[in-house]
Amino acid sequence: MPDTPEHAEPAFTRRQLLMLGCGLAAGAGLGIVHRTYGAPTPIGPLRPPGASADFTSACIRCGLCVQVCPADALRLTDLDAGLDTGLPYFVPEDAPCTLCEGEPALRCIESCPTTALLPVADTRDVNIGEAHIRRGRCLAYHGEECTACWDACPFPDEAIVFDEQGRPIVNEAACVGCGLCVPACPAEPLAVVVRAADTPAPVPGDGGGSGGGRGSGRGERQRRGNG
Amino acid sequence: MKRRPPWYRRWATYRRLTAAIFLACLVVGSFAWFPFTGSTGATRLANVIPFTDPLAAIESTLSTGNLAAPALIGAGILLGAAVLLGPIFCGWVCPLGLALDLNYALRRLVRRRVFRRRRQTPVPTVVPWSIRYAVLGAVLGFALFAGLPAFQTLSPINLLARSILFASLWGLIAIGGLVVLEWVMPRVWCRALCPLGAVYSLVGRFGLLRVRIDPAHAGRTPCRQCSTRCPMGIPVMESYAMGGRSSVTDPGCIRCGDCVDACPTAVLRLGLRGTPPGDDDHPGRLPVVPDGECEDCAA
Repeated sequence: MPDTPEHAEPAFTRRQLLMLGCGLAAGAGLGIVHRTYGAPTPIGPLRPPGASADFTSACIRCGLCVQVCPADALRLTDLDAGLDTGLPYFVPEDAPCTLCEGEPALRCIESCPTTALLPVADTRDVNIGEAHIRRGRCLAYHGEECTACWDACPFPDEAIVFDEQGRPIVNEAACVGCGLCVPACPAEPLAVVVRAADTPAPVPGDGGGSGGGRGSGRGERQRRGNG
Repeated sequence: MKRRPPWYRRWATYRRLTAAIFLACLVVGSFAWFPFTGSTGATRLANVIPFTDPLAAIESTLSTGNLAAPALIGAGILLGAAVLLGPIFCGWVCPLGLALDLNYALRRLVRRRVFRRRRQTPVPTVVPWSIRYAVLGAVLGFALFAGLPAFQTLSPINLLARSILFASLWGLIAIGGLVVLEWVMPRVWCRALCPLGAVYSLVGRFGLLRVRIDPAHAGRTPCRQCSTRCPMGIPVMESYAMGGRSSVTDPGCIRCGDCVDACPTAVLRLGLRGTPPGDDDHPGRLPVVPDGECEDCAA
């Protein structure tokens, strides 16, 4: 075998800089195409507490929040979610967010290495979403005596109050969207649903034109989620 | 004459062991009592000391314009280790590196035992290794312009970790596809495509840990076992051992020690830069094969 020292030690040369440049151009082009034509992240899945406005951009999909969640509520989306793969979410019907009751801090926020989950001063400042009571299904609205959601709520008399007839009403300003009321509901099908706060940032340059589409998509997603 | 050191004196054993221990720590990490938690993107020791994938930190920063303290510190620790020692993550820690390394070992075994190919061939270099810089550029460009960390989302490293830690079926299917690809073109991901490897090799070029070459014995038995075995396709013998170098300085070198394990002589050694390259007392190395007695090349 001949001695070929010219292969030795290829430094960071013009060829690699060219490769890097071509890659940057291709990535930038794909990025602009994605931003212009790609479907925005649907609002619907409930994100962990403290999710920032640029949650999908900042989250590095490491799953640390899922690993530390003491309630085992958080999960990661699978590969079928495309570029939203690996984002944490929870389904209150299966396991609601307990707001780390008994823990010194919200563990997911504490563990997050990026700005995807931002610290909150108090658990009352968490804004995962708001609970909504479906009056057609709620037992209390059908004359029965039921306080199950109020009993489960971490902020009773603030987030859930009763009217004169003993029917629960959600105070959306105080409700954090933890979903603890959802599995507590005895109605069949469940009378409580949590709708996500508008955590994902609107895509920059995305005009008002697609706003209606996003809104209706959101409604559909929730109906599907509750069915 | 025995051609290779016994299993307990091979670098490959210890390299695979550290990577397996890292993966096992991640699996056990979901229990609250275990002090090491996380996944390949980010981990945390004792809930205080962060370790963050440097490329993940860069992508998140480019996507949002913000750099959180744990990402900065965690990426700094790993980059610092790479600057000091070299790109050791790929061979000694990376779970995907472990999986593809074992896959390559299985492929060699099947070729030898099933297809009776006694001669092994080096990894194909059809795909130039500089492609991984293009992949790195694309990842950075996409993060900057689309505001999404695409590599963290779809990287096979994270997919493998997620499918083990969080039981992701689609991730396993994707990894299976990569394994099939690597039976056709072994080690193509790590060698030519992985942008994280590109980052580590950029910062780890002058790391202290090197494959050292004993100039006194280099080239006496030009058997090419080192070049043949190198998972990164580096011509260890042709360019370095025969080129009169004292260590392998190729930026692709991940310090895995496979060439050292493959060397039937005492020419190669994994050691620190600045130490004497020749070390006849190095434990586990065999004496230089007398001329004409090498089983593989009959030199």
